[in-house]
This record gives sequence, C-alpha cells and structure tokens, in this order.
Amino acid sequence: MASLIVTSENQIQRLNHIINKVKELQTLDASQLTTPPHAKSWNVVEVLEHLNIAYGIYMPRLDEAFTKMPTVDSGASEFKARAWQKFVIAGQRPKNGVRKWKMKTLKRFEPLLDKQSLTQEKIDAIFETFFTRHAHLKEAILKSRNKDVRQIKIISAIGPIVNFYLPECFEFLLCHLERHMVQIDEILG
Amino acid sequence: MDDETFLRLKAFFPQVALTEQEEIHFKLLWSIKTFNQYDLITEAGNIERYFYFVLEGVQAIYILNEKGEKVVLGFSYSGSPSGAFDSFIKKQPSDTFLEALKPSKMLAISYEDYQSLFEKHQEFYVWGHEFFQKILFGRLHREVELLTLSAEQRYKTFMQRCPDELKVIPQKYLASYLNMKPETFSRLRSCTSY
Repeated sequence: MASLIVTSENQIQRLNHIINKVKELQTLDASQLTTPPHAKSWNVVEVLEHLNIAYGIYMPRLDEAFTKMPTVDSGASEFKARAWQKFVIAGQRPKNGVRKWKMKTLKRFEPLLDKQSLTQEKIDAIFETFFTRHAHLKEAILKSRNKDVRQIKIISAIGPIVNFYLPECFEFLLCHLERHMVQIDEILG
Repeated sequence: MDDETFLRLKAFFPQVALTEQEEIHFKLLWSIKTFNQYDLITEAGNIERYFYFVLEGVQAIYILNEKGEKVVLGFSYSGSPSGAFDSFIKKQPSDTFLEALKPSKMLAISYEDYQSLFEKHQEFYVWGHEFFQKILFGRLHREVELLTLSAEQRYKTFMQRCPDELKVIPQKYLASYLNMKPETFSRLRSCTSY
C-alpha cells in the first residue's frame, strides 16, 4: 500500500477550500440550512455544529502540544504518516465524493440541537464558531511548519487507541471535514 | 518609508512623473510588510490582497501538483514585483502559494489603490503596457527553454542570468523551477561550470 505523505501546504490549501465553501453556505436561507433531507439525517447546521464539537476537543490538546514542542529552523518538511494512523485517516477520507465506511456518531460528538428553536441568531453563532475554530486550526498548521513535530504526540478525541503526531492529526481533521462537506452536498442535493 | 526606499519604488515606475503633491499621495498607498523565512505570504485558496514590490529577500511562487509536491513557477527578489497576480486582479482564490525563502521586506499596495493609480494617472497605462510586455516575454522565453533545452543547458542558462541572491536558496526550489530532480540539480552543480 502506498505511503501517505502529508505536507502543511497541501493541508492549508484544502482547509482554505473548506472555509470558502462554508462561507458560501452562510449565504443560504435558514430554511435550506435547517431542513434535513429525511427524518434520520442531520441538517447542514447540525453537521457544522458536529465539526465544531469535534475540533473543540482537539483545540486545547493542540495548544498544549505546542507549549512542549521545540522550534526548528529548517522550515516545513514532508511527513510520512504511520501505518495505524494512516488506516484511521483513510477511514475518514471521502473517495471521489463518496463517504466510505459510514459510521455511527459517538454520543459526545452529537450536535443535539433543538431543531424547533434554531433561530437565525443561533445559526449565525454556529457559523461564527466554525470560522473561529477553523482559523485556530489554520494557525496550528502554520505554527507547526517550524516545529519539531516528531517530538510530541497527542491523544485523539476517541481516546488513547489512536494517538497522532501533529501532521497526522491535521490530516485526520481535514479528512473528517472533507467527509462532512460531502455529507452537506448530499443534504443540499 | 524612508527616502531611499521611495526612490527604489519610484524607479520601478520610470514612465510615471508625479508632482510633489501626487508623490505624497502615491507614497501613502504603499505599506511595508515583513515576513520571516518560510512564511506563507499568500496561501492557495485565499485571495491575493496585494501587489508587492520586493525590498529584501527571495520569494518563490509555486503550485501543488496532484501528488502534493511543490512545482515552482517563479521567484521574486530585491527590486522585482511579487504576488499571486492573477488572484489579485480576478479577486478569486489563488491556485498558487507565495513563500518567503529568505526573511523578506516588501512594499504592498491593495487592489483598490492599485486600480486608482490607473484611474488618476494615465502614465500608469504606459508603465503597465511595458511591464506586462516584459512579463509576457519573460514567460515565453522560459517556456521555450523548458521545452527545448536539456537539463544541463537549462541549468547553465539559468545560472548565468539569475541574480546571486537566488543562488543561495534551498536547491529543491531551484531544481523544481528548472523541472529537474534535486539529485540532477545537485549533480549539475558539482560538475558544470557556467
């Protein structure tokens, strides 16, 4: 199986693409954003809230990792993801616009929004949180470019069964974001 | 901006003669931006906000290929223009990255202020005509070199014409610009005189 080489530039480009897409979503009517295609599906706002929750778990872990990570002068370099992490990342990554390995969301990542009271104000707040959190992710990727990322591992949101070096963590988060962007496309038809 | 810097900027627009008042206004349109080595000045996916004039440092403009590898399209350095120009003009997300390969100091002008130059002073059209002509000829020349010369010839031609400050950037960027593997570049550097 081919190795997974990740670079910060590739990750930044993909993250910018996602942020631009969510900015476009923000211009849609509230009804489009809050109507699921069927009873069991999430609506767009719930997907965004789920992404906010997920990154909210990583945010303090990344901040802590940076306090311990030594700086390097050489600039950003490529990073080869380890086998188990590569497998976990591949489980998230959509292939040709299709979500493989559909999975049940763990309770702690459920958006649990009261769909009846999703006012424009609440929707705006969810978008704002998305942009703030993912600006933090962008900043983290940029900061990692001159850090010795092989020194510190962080524990994933699902627990110690998966740990990540920073580039693996970013790749996982990006694939997770891309997976849910595919889901949003499906919701909007 | 000190007087020397302003003289350098003015020299970049030799076709334009401004009155004293106009010069004061023109000067105010530019701000100084500094970047550390390896900072991303412009990210792919973002809209380029500035047209730059380089005061210090070397920058590379590159695109990522399907494998995610950097493909270097060009460099900017002291005295040259810089920026993701297509994104700047079209106000669309850039396909390219602009990275500082050395600590960089650049003068920057926003899109609105850049456009206002042409609206207020016809002479900027003359500057633009000559500037874009020069850029186009440079790109055509490079295309011919890439398509017709051997790796060794590309290496020699490039080394003969490139400024010294470009020769000290990481080899992988020069190799990519010349469309060769870093190993080939390294071999040519050790055994080719130019």
